[in-house]
Amino acid sequence: MSETLRRIEIPIAITIICTLLQIVPFYIEVEPLEAFSDTFRSWMILVATCALFLGAASLSLLHSKRIQRRSTGWQFSVLTLVSMVVILLAGLPLPEIGLGVDNPVFDFLFANILTPLGATMYSIIAFFITSAAYRSFRARSTEATIVLVSGILMICYNSPLMTSLWPGFIPVGDWIFSVPNMATMRAVIIGSALGAIALAMRVLLGIERGYLRGGEE
Amino acid sequence: MAIFVTGRIFGMLSLLAIMGAVTYYIRRARGGKVSEVRRLAGIDAITEAIGRAVEMGRPVFCSHGISDMRDATYGPQTIAGLSVLSYVATQCVDLGARLIVPVRNTEVWPVATDIVETAYKIAGRSDEFNIDDVVYLSSDQFGYSSNYLGMMMREKPGANIMVGAYWAESLQLAETGNRVGAMQVSGTANTHQLAFFVVATDYCLIGEEIFAAGAYVTEDPVFISSIAGQDFGRIIAVGLMILGTILFTFGSDAFVRLLEW
Repeated sequence: MSETLRRIEIPIAITIICTLLQIVPFYIEVEPLEAFSDTFRSWMILVATCALFLGAASLSLLHSKRIQRRSTGWQFSVLTLVSMVVILLAGLPLPEIGLGVDNPVFDFLFANILTPLGATMYSIIAFFITSAAYRSFRARSTEATIVLVSGILMICYNSPLMTSLWPGFIPVGDWIFSVPNMATMRAVIIGSALGAIALAMRVLLGIERGYLRGGEE
Repeated sequence: MAIFVTGRIFGMLSLLAIMGAVTYYIRRARGGKVSEVRRLAGIDAITEAIGRAVEMGRPVFCSHGISDMRDATYGPQTIAGLSVLSYVATQCVDLGARLIVPVRNTEVWPVATDIVETAYKIAGRSDEFNIDDVVYLSSDQFGYSSNYLGMMMREKPGANIMVGAYWAESLQLAETGNRVGAMQVSGTANTHQLAFFVVATDYCLIGEEIFAAGAYVTEDPVFISSIAGQDFGRIIAVGLMILGTILFTFGSDAFVRLLEW
């Protein structure tokens, strides 16, 4: 029985049915199919939300093992587990007993720890951009020189001091942005859309199996 | 009675034409006529990167972006990333490299785990599979990236392969990979992140190349021929652009009405 359930045809069939249930009502108005598709989408969200428990279980097991083995940095695992439990309990949707998103502990953790940590991670991108630019802005080849020159012109275009010194940077920057840059981006977007359609076809025909147990039976 | 949704008929016909072309090329390949596809340096470099990591005695990192598999726009990138993961896992098992898979999405985590576990099972080395190496980090974007960066700094991977949908974390990951001396292969269809991957990694798969990767690595003629079907879509796209430009230049709104059909 378990071998039958593990057959690769089952997930492929589910994928095909689910895909058609989403595609057909998008193009064809069939009232019962649309209603079914709506219900189906709600179920999909529910099932995906259930996967959150898998993540929490995986995280708990991983860090519990690290604490048990006293692996390097096990103290951070304790901190991770404690933080997870505290924010989980404080955020439980039980407003009758003071829990949920309005709970002061949850609010404090969210506003004073989670948000600043996220902002910090986002802001360090500036340093990464600097180091990446330092390495890549070298005129080693014709292509690299074009990138270097375009980059310098765009920096000048975005700098009020430079545009006030020479207003010509504005039309040059506008041209780089709206002609070569836009053309390249559109080409990539059209190519990506076509690639995604071909991938969808391979999935629908059941020949793209890489995402299913490596494609093995 | 079924009624077509107004404004989507032309889109539907275009989609059917491209799907028909892909199916035609697949059938053609099954009949023995195999299309030729240009080499993708980024994919060819994956084996080299894994081999390098083995020689250095370092692990291999392979991630598939931070999107889920359901999203209409970004989901296909995750599926493409998982196909690459499947290939990387097989190569790592064959070459004896330790594979670490950082995961952001809880619903993708079991799929990634299954892919890596299957690679070990096929090689008859199930006992070597360590579930802790396919690690769910955080659903939060920067929680994920900070964890990923920390792991890279601690584990010092010899190869870092990132194919999928990435956002602001792309440069953080690529630059840190560069800092620890990893050979990096990246790929995304998110145009706003492509520039970061191009400058910060050794090889970059651009846009549609990531969708072709899953078929390309199999070296199966049927898979590869499906890529050729895309070219038909490309011809349609170019033809429509030329037609639209000419009609619009001469003051006709026929093309706009066709798109709105």
